[in-house]
Amino acid sequence: MSVPLRTARGVLGLLLVAWFALPLLPLLLWASSATWSGPSPLPQEWGLRGFTAALGDGAVEASLRSLAVGIVVAALATPAGAMAARALRLGTVRRPRLVAAVLLAPVALPPFAVVMGIDVVLLRLHVPAATGVVLVLTVAALPYTTYLMRAAYVAYDFDYEDEARTLGASRRTVWWHVRLPLLAPGLAAATFLAFLVGWSDYIVTLLIGGGRMVTLPILLASTAAGPGNEPTVAALSLAALAPPTVTLLLAALLRRQLSPTRSADPAPPTPPVSGVPVPQGAA
Amino acid sequence: MSARLDLRDLSRDYGGSAAPALSDLDLTVPAGSCVAVVGPSGSGKTTVLRLTSGLDRPDSGDVLLDGRSVLGVAPEERGMAMVFQRPLLFPHRNVLDNVAFSARVRGASRRRARAEAADYLSLVHLSELAGRQAWELSGGQAQRVALARALAARPRVLLLDEPFSALDAPLVEEMHDLVRQVREALSPTIVLVTHDHVEATALADEAAVLSVGRLVQHDPVDRLYTRPASLVVARQMGGRNEIMGTVRGHHHDSVLGSLRLPVDVRPPPGPGVLVFRHEAVQVTDPDDRTADAVGAVREVRPSGPRRLVIIEVPGASAVEARAVVYAETAPGHRVGVGERVGLHLSPHAFTVVPPEPSAASTYAEPTSIPARDGGRRRGAGGQRPAVSSGHHREGKEPA
Repeated sequence: MSVPLRTARGVLGLLLVAWFALPLLPLLLWASSATWSGPSPLPQEWGLRGFTAALGDGAVEASLRSLAVGIVVAALATPAGAMAARALRLGTVRRPRLVAAVLLAPVALPPFAVVMGIDVVLLRLHVPAATGVVLVLTVAALPYTTYLMRAAYVAYDFDYEDEARTLGASRRTVWWHVRLPLLAPGLAAATFLAFLVGWSDYIVTLLIGGGRMVTLPILLASTAAGPGNEPTVAALSLAALAPPTVTLLLAALLRRQLSPTRSADPAPPTPPVSGVPVPQGAA
Repeated sequence: MSARLDLRDLSRDYGGSAAPALSDLDLTVPAGSCVAVVGPSGSGKTTVLRLTSGLDRPDSGDVLLDGRSVLGVAPEERGMAMVFQRPLLFPHRNVLDNVAFSARVRGASRRRARAEAADYLSLVHLSELAGRQAWELSGGQAQRVALARALAARPRVLLLDEPFSALDAPLVEEMHDLVRQVREALSPTIVLVTHDHVEATALADEAAVLSVGRLVQHDPVDRLYTRPASLVVARQMGGRNEIMGTVRGHHHDSVLGSLRLPVDVRPPPGPGVLVFRHEAVQVTDPDDRTADAVGAVREVRPSGPRRLVIIEVPGASAVEARAVVYAETAPGHRVGVGERVGLHLSPHAFTVVPPEPSAASTYAEPTSIPARDGGRRRGAGGQRPAVSSGHHREGKEPA
């Protein structure tokens, strides 16, 4: 690669990092400020007032609630998406294009309109708010999990399963020892996205939960609505950002450790075939 | 380790095509022997292995191991390990753990499974690669590991599904050596699926030729070369020479003359196709009085150190069709296109098979060909049939 091209790539990379990192800078400054009034470029007084206020407003309970919603949504939407993707991949469903379109519909439809309609149905059926929120969010997460698992299944070779069966593995063993490990990267990505749908949702939780189910985004929005709460809002925003960011970093580190990169040194040459040692008990 | 395998009237129809994938297959593989299932793509070879291994269920028929039906037995309990065309090494396990897979899933401790796996890796001469990841291996090494993994499952029948077809020629020979040595050491019962008759010759005791889901001949491999039962078998085994003619008594009359058939070849009288190997045709001087026929070289195709020579032997008259004979010349023997050559045909290599229905219906029988042993047909002069229709196949490899 030529030097100018390398320089251009470096500059572009820095710009991209700045694009993502810059919005976080005001958040960090606000969260760690005790007093900050304009036109000063930096806080006049540093402190953790925002975090203290957030804790006092119930940030821990709201975070735990969001965590629970994210985990349950991921736990429901990931296997459902995986099963749908497998059926679509194997062609075991009738009208696969229609099914795929229906599964992807929640992304295309305006969530506000859909949720308003579903809210009425759930109320009439006396479905508890938390259950309703989780159910609707699971449907909202399905397009993502299905899409990701479809991609994973396209790259997945079912012959591995046949091979494992003839080597003595039962269906269950194949599931645990072959399918799950081979689909793990796709499953991890699908789980992560489904978790994010639950973790960061605002509209569904607000409408179906009726304002009584206070998750982190609900708390964040209500705090942001009041004047003078910037440090608290910043602290809550950072709390909302932390789990996905940490998960992503951990996943990247793990992938780097496990990535199937070819070793630099080639495999040693195969020795010529000569006498065959007989394994014990094989003959 | 080895067991006798019997396939009885196996049929499987997946629908969607005119012919079933497999129809009424009867095949016996004696314990410790290797039977090759040979056929072109779509002939049902892989279906045989899938039905045998239990990965698929037949519509009818039975699979017997040592005389006991295993039709209701799950694939993992049939004791049949399969090696596919691709090695299919589990990418999340290293080489040793791939070979240890079978023992592990059957409940052996990791330590014991790895110790056993090391023995089988040693069997395929890859002990030093035990710690490598699957993706670090070359194609040949990966297929050796796949073979070791299958053997480590201690199968009663080893199923090989074109396992070496993706490898380079030198590697294929190496793998053939390895399989021969494994056979010598462990005597496994092997069903080898291949489209390559040379591979069948190299590894198998017998071969079963499949065509459109039907078994068309099952014999020792040598016999399939010298005594194919049909044109389909002859072509599948790489045969090229097909001379349309008529069987009269113990002779085959055609453009090549009236050729005496070997004593064990007794076709019914009437239209028949004389089939003989191109390796059994010797190209000689056109003035050689002992030559069985004389013709002109139409094409020469180099084939390694040898050459495949395509020779046209003309009919007796302008209206009589010609015969096309394929011959293989020894290294260093050069002939040019257009050159006249004589042909020595080995009578023991002759056999006669039924013509294709379309050829039989349009074939006009030659008349008044004097019978002679070995026959002789010359490009000009000599005795000729009054009417003859030569039938030949262009020199394409079987599909």
